[in-house]
Amino acid sequence: MIATALFTLGIVAAVFLIVPPAEGLGNLVRIIYFHVPTAWLSVIAFFTSAYFAARYLRRLEPSDDESSARAVKIGFVCVLLSTVSGAIFSKLTWGAYWNWDPRQTTIFVLILIYGAYLTLRAAVNDRRTRAKVSAVYSLLSVLTVPFLVFILPRMYFSLHPTPLINSSGSIDMDRTMLAVLLAALADATLIFYRLMRR
Amino acid sequence: MNGIKILTVLRKELTAGLRHRAASASMLMFALTALACMSLALGGSPLEPNVLAALLWIVIFFASTVGLDRIFEDEAASGTLTTLKVYADAQSILFGKMIYALISLSALSTFLLPTFIVLFDCPVAEPPVMLLTIVFGLIGLSGAGTLVAALSTAASVKSGLFSILLFPIVLPIFLPAINLTSAAMAGGEISLTMLIPMLLFDAILLVASSILFDYIWN
Repeated sequence: MIATALFTLGIVAAVFLIVPPAEGLGNLVRIIYFHVPTAWLSVIAFFTSAYFAARYLRRLEPSDDESSARAVKIGFVCVLLSTVSGAIFSKLTWGAYWNWDPRQTTIFVLILIYGAYLTLRAAVNDRRTRAKVSAVYSLLSVLTVPFLVFILPRMYFSLHPTPLINSSGSIDMDRTMLAVLLAALADATLIFYRLMRR
Repeated sequence: MNGIKILTVLRKELTAGLRHRAASASMLMFALTALACMSLALGGSPLEPNVLAALLWIVIFFASTVGLDRIFEDEAASGTLTTLKVYADAQSILFGKMIYALISLSALSTFLLPTFIVLFDCPVAEPPVMLLTIVFGLIGLSGAGTLVAALSTAASVKSGLFSILLFPIVLPIFLPAINLTSAAMAGGEISLTMLIPMLLFDAILLVASSILFDYIWN
């Protein structure tokens, strides 16, 4: 716990003290050290929830249902934080908070799915039925991910900076920035793991 | 799964649907109200094909949620779900109800589409593409809709829940459908290969619904 907190503090310090301002973006580039890890977690949480949902349907253990729901709750908070930070970055660099860029669409659909899942859970009173229907919904919604991640961004032109793992296989980033970003991603994953284990 | 049982479930649904016309009537009237509302508000001003296509699919989506959410609801309310469980296996019930959903959505579109074309003075340059797009869209809507209807039956608060649950699932069909419909209205270069992603996602939805339905039903 303390190690995770210290690691996070280290990352925050690195973001403000070590990372150089980026060419063309200046100090705004520091937003991505918050934006990318939260977006990363919202996707990880989505798959974690689907994994526990599948496990629940196989074994019918209530603890799997609780883990699946917990992953969604963490994912929901992360997807909101990621959307807000992304919109601020978008306003400061492209001049508008929102323009239904393919990546904005993807993240918005994630918000809709997370929201629908939580609404469904809130609407079902019986514990076993709730576990069953939410597991089925979680697995059904995970089917849309390949479409949202691989097909949709190719259908429309996007202003979003190229993701780290892009089709050309190259990484266009300053080494210090890349190292801090990767460390931030590792830290976010560690925080997620801690929250899931609580 | 048994072909005869699927047909029997379908026949039961059709008979029930014809006897209690409230569900289909409310679906049709909802579509008409939405169309009238949009057409009146826009006052006959000319619209681009992409706006028209989006309006058409919004009406199709919301009108279908008005009818589809009752697929399991009436039986749950009257307490006859157990009888259905005794009579047929899960897959026959799912596919029987899914085919019924597709038939009622097709009936809805047969009414909706000409009315839409007349009210909005909508051009249709490529009728075959438009029809195929609508058919593929309806297959996806009825496939996912039947499973989501089964999920939402368990909920205590139902109003609006069905459309909230259904929309993100059918989005991979909804977006290409709007694009293709717009292209079919405007004409120009359209290749039928654009229909392949829709068809693929329809197939994925049907297979997934079939696998997941066993877990809800049993």
